[in-house]
Amino acid sequence: MGWAFISPWVIGFLIFTAGPFLRSIYLSFTRYNISAPPKWVGLAKDRMLFTDDELFWKSSLVTIKFAVISVPLTVALGVGLALLLNQSVKGMAVFRTIFFLPSIVPTVATTVMFLWILNPTTGLINRILQAFRVVGPAWLSDSTWAFWTFVMMSLWGVGGSMVIYLAGLKDVPAYLYEAAVIDGAGPFQRLKNITLPMVTPVVFFNLVMSIIGAFQYFTQPYMMTPTGGPQDSTHFYSLYLFNRAWKYLDMGYASAMAWVLFVVVVGLTAIVLKTQHKWVHYGN
Amino acid sequence: METNSSGMSGKSLLRWFMVVLAVAAVIAVFALQKPTPRRYPDRIAVHFWHRWGGEWAKVVDNICQRYNESQTKYEVIPLGVSGGSDIKFRLGVLGGDAPDVMSMWNGAIPDMADNGLLADLETLMSPADKEYFFNQSYPVVRDSGIVKGKVVGVTIGSDLFALYVNVDQIRAAGLDPDKMPTTLEGMCDWGEKLTKRDKSGNITRLGFLLGQFDYLAYSFGDGFWDEASQSVNLNTADNRRALSAIAAYRKRLGADQVQRFQAGLNSGSDTGGWPFITGELTITLDGQWRVEEIRKYAKKMNYRVIPLPPPAVDGRKDGSNLAGNFMIIPTTAKQKEGAWDFIRFWCGFSNPEASAQCYNDGGWIPLSPRVVQTQTFQKWLKENPQFQTFLNIVESKNCRPLPPVPYLQYLLDRISKTEDRTNRGEVTPEKAMAILEKDVKREIAKRKELGYAR
Repeated sequence: MGWAFISPWVIGFLIFTAGPFLRSIYLSFTRYNISAPPKWVGLAKDRMLFTDDELFWKSSLVTIKFAVISVPLTVALGVGLALLLNQSVKGMAVFRTIFFLPSIVPTVATTVMFLWILNPTTGLINRILQAFRVVGPAWLSDSTWAFWTFVMMSLWGVGGSMVIYLAGLKDVPAYLYEAAVIDGAGPFQRLKNITLPMVTPVVFFNLVMSIIGAFQYFTQPYMMTPTGGPQDSTHFYSLYLFNRAWKYLDMGYASAMAWVLFVVVVGLTAIVLKTQHKWVHYGN
Repeated sequence: METNSSGMSGKSLLRWFMVVLAVAAVIAVFALQKPTPRRYPDRIAVHFWHRWGGEWAKVVDNICQRYNESQTKYEVIPLGVSGGSDIKFRLGVLGGDAPDVMSMWNGAIPDMADNGLLADLETLMSPADKEYFFNQSYPVVRDSGIVKGKVVGVTIGSDLFALYVNVDQIRAAGLDPDKMPTTLEGMCDWGEKLTKRDKSGNITRLGFLLGQFDYLAYSFGDGFWDEASQSVNLNTADNRRALSAIAAYRKRLGADQVQRFQAGLNSGSDTGGWPFITGELTITLDGQWRVEEIRKYAKKMNYRVIPLPPPAVDGRKDGSNLAGNFMIIPTTAKQKEGAWDFIRFWCGFSNPEASAQCYNDGGWIPLSPRVVQTQTFQKWLKENPQFQTFLNIVESKNCRPLPPVPYLQYLLDRISKTEDRTNRGEVTPEKAMAILEKDVKREIAKRKELGYAR
């Protein structure tokens, strides 16, 4: 009976997720351009990827750089905001709502908004900078700034993880703080020795999710710099994968790229999982 | 409170009832929704997919309606599939639900033809149709739809570029719009004079910008396709000259300032916000569809359209390449005859006079000069005299089709990247061209190794 109830989801999962997932393993060993049936080429594409495709390495580096910078930043900002919004201040519900709201705005709408506010001549940011006699850069068409613009934008949706951190903070038992205060611990010591260790399970969860998200970063670069931006500075891996698949119609090549990405993400997640016993405290 | 046997109060029962009712209503709205009824249910349906949306889709709908009213056998049912239309077409063909006819960007056609997705339109032509297509159409427009000797596409709207000139701004700058420069170098000098800057040196109005390497290359030489060897032309002396000219002029105007100015421009089409209309560009290279856009949004604008002048040395007058929308019929189409009848109507095979109205509605370049010679077209041309420039360009032998290669999208992306790379001063034009050639050759080699069409 239970299976009957969940069958709509199970059928959908098998057809639309598991099926394509397994099929892409096969396609990654073929040449396939939609128009003609796939033809087995073995590991030829993997060799091309690693030895004969500059853009593969370039886009990989852009993505790794993005992950290395944006993941710690989003975690730090999320925890920081959660700590601030965990204070007993009048109107806190309003503040929490304000910081959470951006994370529920659809990504496409947010990206269009950023396209407006980042316009070098009419955009809000440069207008504000102008008021202080600072000439703002051409955010998305200057190779020095384009990448950092995406890093900055990645912080926009930090409200989503902030709520989870906040829930984690609410779970920290009050008696731990009471005991610490009795022992003479100051605010910084309480933060360092009680708060942060106690929220590490939540940090761990968000860290894994952020790593996966960073490696799959796509919608914003696709909408803002669809050809990879100035000097390929925003040519993210997923964007290159998408262009290979849907612009150049090389589904086999794109499938091989997708599996490389999958292996990297699984590998990194495994490393993070392996290290968790050193820094994640489950309170036992 | 009153409760029933299951312990539910009347109020919560009512609430549940309302929820179920709302869900049922939503399902009913979506599930029972009937498609728009056909206007001519007794006729043979011809499904037509096109790439236009918004205001342009209305133009296409009107053309279909006129076709449906012009005969009694077929009913063309249009469907706009803008965005990824070539993928949708391929999936439609392979999934067994292809349209009978579709308008397609000609750059996507060679690959489709190579994969056997497109019907040979010549097999549908009558002797009179063949005469019209092969002997009475513009050669460049005709050839753009021929791949490896097979007619796989017929234009319903070709696109060309020319210079749009703001006459008032030129006069205000003390220049004479009746004596426009006749060389590219002269145009660059004018561009510099017409460019306005603020106190900090930032550009507030761009006089003229040399760019669009994929197009400009045809003013300097054979561009990117060698007809004789049937292969792509890349690192040639002419192409290097074209790229060097672009880079040198950028440097002259201040590459950073130009880049900054361009980044702030509105690129929206058919919204009236085109920077030429708003006065931010004095002379700009753009497509023929803008004539119709100006008529719509800036009827009183004092402007002219002139061909891009060639370079002083070894230049090609009216050098350009042609792209646009071409009608294709999939091999799996159920109604090829109906599809071809519709193409005949739009392209002027059957009635050039009715065809002229189709091309005028969208401001497109027709397949044949016979359409241009009709009263309808001539009347429209009188109202939009600037369009004549494009008709002159399309007749030029220096106006060429896009390279008919299945990796065209990759090639165009790399050409655009090469231009960007040079404009930013990342590499010299010579080095950029060498990289372009290396990249494209590598892509060709990859395709060869994987067994794709080359």
